[in-house]
Amino acid sequence: MIASVTEDIEMSKPSDLVQGTLDMLLLKFLALEPMNGFAVSQRLKQVSGDVLQVSDGSLYPALHKLEQEGWITAEWKTSEYGRRAKYYSLTRLGRRQLEKEADNWGRLSSAISRVIKLKEA
Amino acid sequence: MRPEHWLFTIPLRLRSLFRWAQADQELDDELRDHLERKIEEYVAQGMTQEEAHRRARLDLGGIEQTKERCRDTRRINWIQDFVQDLRVGLRVLRKSPGFAAVVILTLALGIGANTAIFSVLESQLWRSLPFPDSERLVDAHLVMRENHTHWDVLPYRGYQAWRTASHSFVSLSAFHYPSNRNLTAGGTSERVEVMPVSSTLFETLQVPLEQGRTFLPDEEVPGNDHVAILTHALWQSRFASDAAILGKTMSIDGAAYTVVGIASARLRFEYHLDEPAIFVPLSMDPYQQAPLRNTYLIARLAPGVTRERARAELSSLVDPIMKAEGRASESVAEVTNLRETWTDFAARPLYFFAGAVLLVLLIACVNNSGLLLARGLSRQREFTLRATLGAGRAALVRQSLAESLLLALAGGTIGVLLGIWGAQAFAAFIPEDTLPRKTEIVLDARVLLFCVGVSLFSALVMGLMPALLASRVDLNYALRQGAAGISASRSQHKTRSTLVIVEVAIGLVLLFGAGLFLSSFVGEERAPRGFDAPGALTFHVSLRGENYAKPEQQQRYFNSLLEQLRLLPGNREVTLGSGLPLTGSTGVSGTVNIAGRPPAHKYGTYVTIHAVAPNYFRGLGMRLLTGRPFDSHDDPASTNVAILNRNAATELFGAEDPLGKVLDFVAQPHRGVPPQPSVQIVGVVENAQEFGANEVPQVGLYVPFAQRPLPSAYVLVSSDVPRGALLGPIRDAAYSLDKDQPIFDIKTMDDRIADSVRSACFDLILVACLAAVALALVSVGILGTVAHFVQQRTQEFGIRIALGASPAHVLGQAIGRAYGMGIAGLVFGVALALAIGRILGSALYLVPHEHSGMLYGVKIYDPLSMVVASVVLLAVLFLASFLPARRAMRVDPMVTLRYE
Repeated sequence: MIASVTEDIEMSKPSDLVQGTLDMLLLKFLALEPMNGFAVSQRLKQVSGDVLQVSDGSLYPALHKLEQEGWITAEWKTSEYGRRAKYYSLTRLGRRQLEKEADNWGRLSSAISRVIKLKEA
Repeated sequence: MRPEHWLFTIPLRLRSLFRWAQADQELDDELRDHLERKIEEYVAQGMTQEEAHRRARLDLGGIEQTKERCRDTRRINWIQDFVQDLRVGLRVLRKSPGFAAVVILTLALGIGANTAIFSVLESQLWRSLPFPDSERLVDAHLVMRENHTHWDVLPYRGYQAWRTASHSFVSLSAFHYPSNRNLTAGGTSERVEVMPVSSTLFETLQVPLEQGRTFLPDEEVPGNDHVAILTHALWQSRFASDAAILGKTMSIDGAAYTVVGIASARLRFEYHLDEPAIFVPLSMDPYQQAPLRNTYLIARLAPGVTRERARAELSSLVDPIMKAEGRASESVAEVTNLRETWTDFAARPLYFFAGAVLLVLLIACVNNSGLLLARGLSRQREFTLRATLGAGRAALVRQSLAESLLLALAGGTIGVLLGIWGAQAFAAFIPEDTLPRKTEIVLDARVLLFCVGVSLFSALVMGLMPALLASRVDLNYALRQGAAGISASRSQHKTRSTLVIVEVAIGLVLLFGAGLFLSSFVGEERAPRGFDAPGALTFHVSLRGENYAKPEQQQRYFNSLLEQLRLLPGNREVTLGSGLPLTGSTGVSGTVNIAGRPPAHKYGTYVTIHAVAPNYFRGLGMRLLTGRPFDSHDDPASTNVAILNRNAATELFGAEDPLGKVLDFVAQPHRGVPPQPSVQIVGVVENAQEFGANEVPQVGLYVPFAQRPLPSAYVLVSSDVPRGALLGPIRDAAYSLDKDQPIFDIKTMDDRIADSVRSACFDLILVACLAAVALALVSVGILGTVAHFVQQRTQEFGIRIALGASPAHVLGQAIGRAYGMGIAGLVFGVALALAIGRILGSALYLVPHEHSGMLYGVKIYDPLSMVVASVVLLAVLFLASFLPARRAMRVDPMVTLRYE
């Protein structure tokens, strides 16, 4: 059935990731250094271990979305192994966006931790 | 979103759109690169090639799906979807060429007609005049305070005040319309159009001379005014572009003029009168202070000055002068856009035709809407299948609209070609001087843009409703209906009926309009003309030059001419008058009062005056109602006499007998009307048409030519000799008297009658064509609807016939349905026609003080036209429904039931 295929795709979304968080993570990675899609996927796995499960199938649409928003820009470069790959890097707009999102995130997480730390009466 | 953001993203979107293939290739490469690395990594971890390959692909979650989601981020998918829709639409339409052809041709007709009328409107009314910044050019004049459409004569001192003291204008200039004069240079002579203009004209128009100088203010005084500026065209054709012509002299009507300048090649007026060939100074005698008759003022508004401000200033300048002349309250200054002033007289009929043509397009759209709707029904299964497969309603509507758009664009493309051809045909067949400007009708960006707009509009009008209805798919219901056919829902039947009703209503409006124009035309043909001179040849002579400055000289010339013409063989009658019926008002007019009585009007009664030979009424077959005609004793030595036309007799005397009464002329020195001797009325003659049937009857006065000679007269020759053989001897006779006085406007009285109804005939043909197209479209619409109705009910009819219903009964039901829609359409149509008539009423009919309305002798409630239009529509309705309904009658019950 066609419908069930659609659902599968929906399922592969990182549902345990707060909406928009993936964007922030990607922006952050690219702020550190320009890299290609494969490297980003490696980095995601390295840094977050198995906590943030982002499939490759979700990664690329997310990168393309950031590119279309103008937050990151892509360039074809020859990699260290002599292979051509698409390298993403942060734009000025992207940096501003990252700051904004990091800010939001900071406020949100501190608010939540304050709530969690409330002592039960 | 922030503008800065757009700066970044728009190039990206454009790239995705126009370099779609490349963007897709890069996406491909990127993902392949990823896969390769991933596989390498998995192999390094110890997997086999195949296993690594499988895992890598699995991680990516389906390559094609991922790609599609990456593409989705580009946000231009709707465009690609739309292109996809168009492609599908093209395939679908190609499969039903008959349907497509009908829709496209109908639309092409509608769009073509609209494009044609648009390009005529554009070239005639809306296009700027051919001068720089021409919308700042205005016409300044005086109008009567009571009626702003009536112009008044500007006093000379008023002109001087406007010219020197006004701050509203950059420049103000005066001109006369060109007149035909005799140019002699280098031994040969020819007739050319000469235009008297004030020295400032070229400055006002902002078209500087090519060579030489403009006229000097000194040269606007009689005696100094024998200088000329040649147009570029004349300079090129007549003087071979030789600059040495500057300073040389040439002769215009026998007087020597010095050439001082050559006008720019860019200077064109594009007015419906002939372009001038030579400009001469418009000279006015400052001592005489003659008011400005036949003189028009053009001005260029100063920056920031509005027409209202200019109007106020001109009024304030002219008021003290008017007060001094004792007519302060009579007139006010008026400032109008020059383009509008020049084109105004044609705007009404042109807009009227535009409206009629728009109705035809509407019918075409409604018709196509019906066809699309029927098609939507037969494609219900396709739509159902698509909906089942997950297409949303929006997608279905979009698909339907894409098809309408394709049809409309195809129709529009053919329509442009038809339109340009139609506009040229329109301009070629419209009677001369009905169009205000001699502009070329071209296929320019504006016309194309309009055509695209009309096509999109048509696509929406015809496509939206069928699209909405077709997309309303009830899956359950549709699937249960099975393969045999999905019958139309109630709302679809209702919609189709509504469409037919609308069509019939609009069709009735156009047919009714055609009926009005037909009875108007017949009325004009049959209207009493007040004269009867079959076969009589007429021509115009307008004496010019210093040899004919005095009335005696004019009298002598015309007397000799008449004598010469009477000697011609076959002669029956030769006569002359300062005007003839159907040559338009002759320009000689005056105001009169009955001697010894208080004036009936404040300023006297306005009359047109014709100076005529004694045998004028006999020659023209005009009936004398009472009194006597002029005779040879009515000469300068005897009492001044006059004959009234019937209209004047009623206007001045009512039921009283006018014979023997005396009329005093009101002298109006400030308007250039000198005192005239009073006249005694000796007769009353039947009214004769001055312009045509559709005119405000003139209050007319005839005086003997011998008592009031004029330099310009029409000559009438009635002869047994046919026209072709007559013309040569007439010319010889005239040119033997004076070869420099041309005879022109040579026409028989029958020609003049034909000319006078030509405009009505053209209007009739145009409206009739539109009505015929509308009728054809309406009948196609009804045919289609009834055929569809019958097809839908084939089974039902089969069963009924099997159960014993008579075929005639079934036929009656099918036709009855058509008539139900038809009658409803007629009712709406009559209401619509009356409503439109009320709105257009004053625009369609004769307006007082104007000499042409579009309709003559019919009322907007004309019952005959209404009845005829209805009967014609009902007859068409019957034919168009009978043909498909007959199929219902012939339904074979066995076949239909077995089919089930």
